[in-house]
Amino acid sequence: MENGKYRHTVRELYDFIRSRLYFNRPDLQVRGEQFNSTLLFTLLTALTGGKALIIGEPGLGKTTAAEYVGSLIYQLPVGTVWAGEVGGHPEQTEEKIIGRPDLGKLNQGQEEVIWSYFVQLPVKIVDEINRLPETKQSMILDGVDRGNWEYLNEMILNSEYCLFATANYQDQGTNTIIAPLLDRFDVMVESRHPGPSYAFMISQRQEKEELLRHPDLERKLQDALKKRPTPEEKDSQIAAIAEAFGAHLEESLQLPTLDHTSRTKVREQIASIDLDQDANAYTRMLLAELSFCDRHGQKRSNEVCEEGCHYTGYLCHRLRNCASNRLPVSLSNYAKALAWFTEASTVGIEEMRAVGPYCLAHRAQWTDTHLSLLQKDRRNDPLQIHLAREAMNEVFQRYSEQAEHVKEALATAYRIFQGEALEPVAGDHPIYAEIQKDLNLEK
Amino acid sequence: MFNPFEDFKEFLSKVRTLPLDRLSAAHDQIMAELTSGYGKLVEQELKSLVWFVEHNRVVEAYETAAEVIKNLSYDAHSIEDFCYVLDSGVDIPYLISGPAGIYVAALCNHVAEEKIVLRLGEMERRLHFLGYRLPYGKSLRIEGDTGNFTGSALQGGDITVTGATGDWTGAGMTEGKISIHKNCGRNTGEWMQGGEIWVGSRIRGLGRITSGQIYQAGEAITEQA
Repeated sequence: MENGKYRHTVRELYDFIRSRLYFNRPDLQVRGEQFNSTLLFTLLTALTGGKALIIGEPGLGKTTAAEYVGSLIYQLPVGTVWAGEVGGHPEQTEEKIIGRPDLGKLNQGQEEVIWSYFVQLPVKIVDEINRLPETKQSMILDGVDRGNWEYLNEMILNSEYCLFATANYQDQGTNTIIAPLLDRFDVMVESRHPGPSYAFMISQRQEKEELLRHPDLERKLQDALKKRPTPEEKDSQIAAIAEAFGAHLEESLQLPTLDHTSRTKVREQIASIDLDQDANAYTRMLLAELSFCDRHGQKRSNEVCEEGCHYTGYLCHRLRNCASNRLPVSLSNYAKALAWFTEASTVGIEEMRAVGPYCLAHRAQWTDTHLSLLQKDRRNDPLQIHLAREAMNEVFQRYSEQAEHVKEALATAYRIFQGEALEPVAGDHPIYAEIQKDLNLEK
Repeated sequence: MFNPFEDFKEFLSKVRTLPLDRLSAAHDQIMAELTSGYGKLVEQELKSLVWFVEHNRVVEAYETAAEVIKNLSYDAHSIEDFCYVLDSGVDIPYLISGPAGIYVAALCNHVAEEKIVLRLGEMERRLHFLGYRLPYGKSLRIEGDTGNFTGSALQGGDITVTGATGDWTGAGMTEGKISIHKNCGRNTGEWMQGGEIWVGSRIRGLGRITSGQIYQAGEAITEQA
């Protein structure tokens, strides 16, 4: 019952943003229902406490999508969300992003940190992250990954947070996002041009940001963030103001929102959804192709897959790097969240295929040969998402052809692992070789 | 120690069957039944070791054939396939072309479909007695050549042979129509008592015709009684 109540609330929030705040076309279909991928993944990121990289041309709603979703899911007035945003630029410093010494107290011989709003708020937005020089990107690695923020001898640990970063396409002022930082993002989505009709509508509804403003509560929140009570006191003050903003939204817009307890319940419900065996086996097959190398044991970004390898037909031959362990975590978390959102009882291949391209796109480093072959394809997605989608489809095709065989191989492996004297199931796909490695039976 | 394949503990493997596998199994079953029926007929006929074409023998063989196929389930397409089983000789230890043809004729006469097409152009052997006693309302189209006694004792059916037929074509037929696109052999229409035989090309020889009409290249060549 509660499950349905929370889902209904989240659905209402999605519909509200889609119809009142962020206008764009649907570009993703899941279980027969159309969604806008930017809005959907931004929402799932906020719900699950994930990290999303939103790319796109300037002025196409990358930051605003994150602001609206963050504001509504975390019951924060949008003015507070703005106050917590960090802008990426070459002169950015740790003192502006994370925290700075309290100079007044330092003069009295006390070392205390004044934490930035960015670090303290659960909705973190790094605008134009690729304008941060590569050397400065590492400043936020730990915080992005675990919610740990350190300055001087103090540390702040976020128990509940989500992170959005926006990035423009490469121009003179941008830098490459370093691979370790990229890998920490669960998903990458593109905020696209909405088309002329929606773009025109946007021009006619310029008051929409006012819907989520509340200057009085914003001021109260800023006051609470500036103070240095115990963390528990601060959390309870912020929670009280957030609930007041939630009540304001309910009253003024008839829009229900989720408080901290409800968000925790939603996360518990999402986590309890299981993957069905097909989604499980398909994901293992995908991971095998992304990490396997017949010659060198596994993919390594400093080693080249040579011509003539038996596995040239698989993804491993077209990739330069190896999938990190964060990829299956992102796949599982987002597929579960999507299943919860679309009322599916378990995660199936459909959910995996829907979230897969967005989880893989920024992590896969394709070979130049592969890029040159596919970059002229007719497509709607940016190249990286297109390549990831094609890869997911290709693996799905292979899985469909041998689903029973793969599951049989995994089931047999279970029995061998338990000590039964059986022959492992063989086949011409890296998954079979990887299973044999797990069983210590590699020839 | 944690088993990384735990999720597949309960997986029960299913034997996958493709639609083609099911069709193939059904087809094999029908062929086995038809072959078994033919075996019973041959068992009966082998008692004399040598098979002579005598009126009584033919009638007896046909009645035996009709009896053994009574409970078989097959269609027109199966008859064509069975002809090739007969031709290959793999599962047929004693192929005697007389009884084999009578057996195929009995299958045609008792099959549910009214229109039967046998594409026998690829066969190495020619079956005799095809179309024997084909009843009224049934049509049999044979693509290729046939052996002797094609359409003998025809009982109103309509037979078309796109190739040539052997001797004794239409022997003893009472009614119906036989059309042969190419040639036919000797004794064509022997003891024929009615019906028509249309031959597109050469007729090697006519039999003693009681009644009915034979046409060659569209021209009637027998005198009407």
